[in-house]
Amino acid sequence: MTAEAPMTLTLPAAGARPPSAPPAERAAPGRTRHGLGRNRARAGILLSLPALVLVLFVLIVPIGEAIYYSMTNWNGLTAQWVGPSTYTTLFKDPVFWRVLENNGILLLAVPVALGVPLGIAALLHEHVWLWKLFRSLIFLPTAVSWVVIGMIAVRLFAPGGTVNYLLGLFGLARFQTDFLGHEYTAILAVALTFVWSMIGTNTIIFLTGMSTVDPAIYEAARLDGAGRWAAFRRITVPMLKRYFQFTFVITMITAFTALFSLIFIMTGGGPGYGTTTLEFFVYQQAFDVGQFGTGAMLGVVLFVLLFGVSLVQLRLLREDR
Amino acid sequence: MTATMFKARASRPATGRRGGGRVRTVWREARRDPAKVVIFLLLLAASAGMLYPFFFMIVNSLRSENQYLNGSGFSTVSWSQLFANLPVGRELLNSALVCVVAIVLILALASAAGYAFAKLRFKRQGLLFFAIIGSMMVPLQSIIIPVYVNFAHLHLINSYLGAILVYAGFGTPFATFLMTTFFRGLPDEITEAAACDGLGHAGCFRRVALPMAKPALATVAVLQFIQIWDDLLVGLLFLQEPGNRTITVGLGVLSSGRVVSVPVLMAGSLVSALPAVLVYLFFQRYLVSGLTLGVNR
Repeated sequence: MTAEAPMTLTLPAAGARPPSAPPAERAAPGRTRHGLGRNRARAGILLSLPALVLVLFVLIVPIGEAIYYSMTNWNGLTAQWVGPSTYTTLFKDPVFWRVLENNGILLLAVPVALGVPLGIAALLHEHVWLWKLFRSLIFLPTAVSWVVIGMIAVRLFAPGGTVNYLLGLFGLARFQTDFLGHEYTAILAVALTFVWSMIGTNTIIFLTGMSTVDPAIYEAARLDGAGRWAAFRRITVPMLKRYFQFTFVITMITAFTALFSLIFIMTGGGPGYGTTTLEFFVYQQAFDVGQFGTGAMLGVVLFVLLFGVSLVQLRLLREDR
Repeated sequence: MTATMFKARASRPATGRRGGGRVRTVWREARRDPAKVVIFLLLLAASAGMLYPFFFMIVNSLRSENQYLNGSGFSTVSWSQLFANLPVGRELLNSALVCVVAIVLILALASAAGYAFAKLRFKRQGLLFFAIIGSMMVPLQSIIIPVYVNFAHLHLINSYLGAILVYAGFGTPFATFLMTTFFRGLPDEITEAAACDGLGHAGCFRRVALPMAKPALATVAVLQFIQIWDDLLVGLLFLQEPGNRTITVGLGVLSSGRVVSVPVLMAGSLVSALPAVLVYLFFQRYLVSGLTLGVNR
C-alpha cells in the first residue's frame, strides 16, 4: 500500500539537482586520453539506452498520447479531433468539480496524516523499553496492500462494525451510522483509512529526521530547564522542516494517485460520486463508461495538478537554502 | 542524560543473563522518570491500533460465515473453502513470476543507466538523465489508458509480458535515480583504475561496480517487490484472465463480487499479505533506507 509512495517519493528531488553536472565537470581532464574517452561515450550510451527505451515506451510516449487524445472523442478504437474545447467542457461539468471536492477533502486529511506520525515518532524517540519492537509494529502496515487494508476497513466501518461499536462505547452513539452508505461519511471513512495507512511511513521518516538532531542540543536545553514539550516545540519541530515538506509531498501524492485500490475495494467510487477522486474518475470514464478521451484528459489534469504542486514545493525548498 | 543512558541500555543485545536484571533496570528507570511509563503505554496503544486490523483478519479467517455473523466460535472451514474454490496457488505463482521478472529487469536497466549517468560522460547525457528521472513525475493514471490501448494493439493484454513491462517501466525512473545516487558516492579511482586495467567500461560496471552496489540493489528490490506485489490497477487491466491473475488482483476481483463470505476473504487477505510482510520483516532496513532517501536531496 504505502509502498506505492516510494515510486513517486522523490518527486521533489527529481529536478532538485542539475542533471549530470558532476560528470560534465570531470570531462576536461579525461579528454586527453582519446581512446578511453570515446569508449566511455559509447559505453555510456550503451548502458543507459535500455532504460531510456523502456521509459519512452511506457511513460514518455504515452503521456504525449494522453495529451493528444485528451482533445479527441477517443473511444479506444477511433478518435476524432475536437480540440482544446474538451477542457472547457470538462471545467463546466459539475461532476468534475464534485470529484475535485473529494480530492480537496483528502487534502484536508494530509495534515492529520503528518501530525499523528509526528507525535508517535516523538514518543518513539524517547527510546523507552521495547521501542524498537513498537517501531517495527507501527511500520508494519507499509507492507500490506491497499486491497487488504480496504477489505478490512469495509468491515470496520460497517453498521455493526468496530468503529460504530467504539462510538457507542464512548457515548457517541448518535454518530453511529452506515459509514459507507452516505456520500460524506464514506469519504470520511476513506480518508481515515488513508491516514491510518500513512502512519507507518511518515513515522519512520520523522524518526529518521529526529535521529539526525544532535543529542547535545537536547542536553543543553534540559540543563536550561526546558521540559519535554518545550524541547519538542522549540528544537524538534523546527529541525524537521525539510522532513515536513518531504512527508507532505509524498502524502499528498499518495492521496491523489495511490488510493485507486482502496476506493475500488471500499466503495467503488460511490455512493453517487461520494468517493470518486480524480484518479478513480480516470479509470471509471475509460473502463466503465468507455470514454477513453475523457479518461486521458482527466489523467492529464491530474498530471498537471501534481506537477504544479511539485514546482511550488521545489520553490519552497530553494528559498529554504 | 537519562535518555541517552537508557538508549544505550535498551539497544544492547540481550545476553544469556537472567531476564530479571534487565526488567529491574527498566523498572528503576521508570521510577526515576515516570513520564517514560506514560510514553510506553501510549506506544503500546498506538501499536495496538496499528495491529488491530491484522488481529481482525486472523481471527475472522478462523470462523465460518455463521460464526462471523454471531461473532463467536472458531473453525477452519473458511480456509478449506478458500483453497477449494480459488486458484490461490496459481495466483501466488503468478504474483511471484511477475514480481521477480519485473524486478530483475528494473535492477538490470536501472543499475546500468545509473552507472552511466554517475561515472561516464557522453553526448546528450543531461537530456537522457532528465528524461528518465523526470518521468518519476508521471502518475500511473495519466498514462494507463494510452498504454492499455498500445498494448492491446501489440497483443500484450492478458500476457505476463505486458504487465511486467508496465511494472518495470513504471519502476525504472525511481530505481535509476537511486542507483545514480549510489554510484555517485563511489570513488572515481575505483572505476577509473578498473577501466584502465583492460576491463573496459562495461566490464568495470559488471565486475567491479555492480558487486559493490548490493545494498542499493537490495533497496530497489525490496521497494519494488512490495510495490508490485500489492498493486491492483495494472493487474486488473493487463492480467484479466482468471488463470494469469496475481493474488492481489484475484482478491480484489473477488471482493468486488460481494457474494463471497467475509471469513474466506479474510483468509485470502492473509495469504496475499504474508509474502510482503515476510519480505518487510527480513529486509526492513532496506525499505527504511529507500523511503528516507529523498529527504536530503
